[in-house]
Amino acid sequence: MNARATALIADDEPLLRDALRRQLGIVWPELEIVAEARNGREAVRLFDERHPDICFLDVHMPGLSGVDAANHIGRRAHLVFVTAYDHYAVQAFAQGALDYLLKPVEQARLADTVSRLKARLQSSRPAINTEQLLQQLSEQLSKLQSGGGKSKALRWIRAQAGNIVRLIAIDDVDYLRSDAKYTIVAWRDGGKPAEAVVRTPLKELLTQLDAEHFAQVHRSVVVNLRAISRVKRHDNETAEIHVKGRDDVLPVSRNYLHLFRQM
Amino acid sequence: MLDVMPELATTARPVGIVVKTTRRVAVALTMSIGVGLLMMHGWIGSPSSLFLRTIIIGLSATTAFALFEVWPRRLPRWLQRWALQVVAVGVFMPVTTLLIYIVSTRRGAPPFWEDSSRMDGWTHLTFVGLLLAPWTALGAVVRQKEAFARDQSLSFALERSELERQALDARLHLLQAQVAPHFLFNTLANVQALVEAGSPHASAVLRSLTAYLRAAVPLLHEPAATIERELQLVRPYLELMQMRMPDRLQYAMNVDQGALNVRCPPTTLLTLVENAVRHGIDPSEEGGRIDIDIERRGERCVVRVTDTGAGLHESANGLGTGLTTLRERLQLIFGDAAQLRLTSGARRGVTVEVDMPAHT
Repeated sequence: MNARATALIADDEPLLRDALRRQLGIVWPELEIVAEARNGREAVRLFDERHPDICFLDVHMPGLSGVDAANHIGRRAHLVFVTAYDHYAVQAFAQGALDYLLKPVEQARLADTVSRLKARLQSSRPAINTEQLLQQLSEQLSKLQSGGGKSKALRWIRAQAGNIVRLIAIDDVDYLRSDAKYTIVAWRDGGKPAEAVVRTPLKELLTQLDAEHFAQVHRSVVVNLRAISRVKRHDNETAEIHVKGRDDVLPVSRNYLHLFRQM
Repeated sequence: MLDVMPELATTARPVGIVVKTTRRVAVALTMSIGVGLLMMHGWIGSPSSLFLRTIIIGLSATTAFALFEVWPRRLPRWLQRWALQVVAVGVFMPVTTLLIYIVSTRRGAPPFWEDSSRMDGWTHLTFVGLLLAPWTALGAVVRQKEAFARDQSLSFALERSELERQALDARLHLLQAQVAPHFLFNTLANVQALVEAGSPHASAVLRSLTAYLRAAVPLLHEPAATIERELQLVRPYLELMQMRMPDRLQYAMNVDQGALNVRCPPTTLLTLVENAVRHGIDPSEEGGRIDIDIERRGERCVVRVTDTGAGLHESANGLGTGLTTLRERLQLIFGDAAQLRLTSGARRGVTVEVDMPAHT
């Protein structure tokens, strides 16, 4: 390697970009910082423009994350991930033998990373960040961000009213009723009965609802079990549900009658 | 008490049919043997024939009771099931004794009503059966309804303990939110950066961090805070966040002085502001502005946090935990008297509003 090594720094926090640049200036004065990016998209654009040898990528950035940007860059540069305390991310990096730094960045640790990078650059060894590794990483992180798959039940329903989107807490919903193209949400606005319309089909909403509290009682009706005041059975294998604090009567069809069998 | 019972139980649950049946048969056998013992005196035939008869009668009553509990599946409106069961048990008594005496008549012997001693036996058995069985059935019905009521009050108690558990969870969540390692280490990284650069801002940032921690730590032990206390937490938080993203975060506060001493669950305001930062400003490349409005309207206090950030479209998944927990805590303290409303502009930004009683 004859020419000076070049690097890109990506972090959404300006102070931290400055800090890393300054620290690198001490540990590796010959390194030329050719670009600083404020988010993942900028990092990708600047990488394509400047083709630096090394990219320091903050994991958590708006828009495209550091891992997303890394996916784009692939093996065309040596990557070093930077993250604040983030147990899972660190675990993932360590498993993939990827370079990473913890914020606040310690000088000694940075020096280690720098000497590894120098060695790799000198021997022209390819970057270790393989596509597969990065793919795995981004999957792992996105899984963590979406709550690790735990408690996936719907907590808020978005209902549109003109230009405003209202979020209705799922506990406030008395029942849902499908109506041609829409779903009608009967809910309690501070205790008062209210209705809203959502575009999501009832069938789709049903799959996301907590089955412990919501039950389908009719092809077009899903009811919050806690909102039921009483169930009245009819002679013809059907029943009707009376809802607390409402005059509404909901139909129960034969297929769902077993939910309300006498004990 | 019986006729006010709901026609149907509203919850479906697996019933221990075996347990129920065993218990009923045990009651029937005990009563049959008891009656048999009482009737021994004055019984002309063998004791075993007496006990066989009382036991058959007891089991027959149990069968009638169980049969009409489920059949017919639908009843006319005017007929209560428990009444049907009791009457059926009563009707089964003479029918059963009649059958017993007809079947047990030896071939060639005259019918039992022409044999005065057998006729006496039939009369006694039928009389005792009619006397005891329907009352026992009635007792069973009452017992069952009471068990149902007990079951319901148990489930209420369960619901309450669930709420208490949620309160505990909320406190734990607070703990996690306030000393969120990610926030802390990121902030410390900034402090270090400023110190190393010899920046004059370093001490200001440290002051904000200290103020934040000082306000956050004691809050963990308090069941309620005031708006003023919340502001002591939110101001340094916003200062720190703005220092970290100077080009992406602007904010303004508009606080009604009359609202300062209003009590609220701890970190109410922080949760709203944190939500705006994490789900509005942070995910947005261009950032945005946060407006905090706190207003006292007579007996009500309205806390509104509006941001112009990413909106619901990009961060709908993450939205929730903090707000859901806050909503539960408000519910726990104020019931229906407090509301948490969430609205979003069609394209960008979110407004979260807490409307609660202004207790001081």
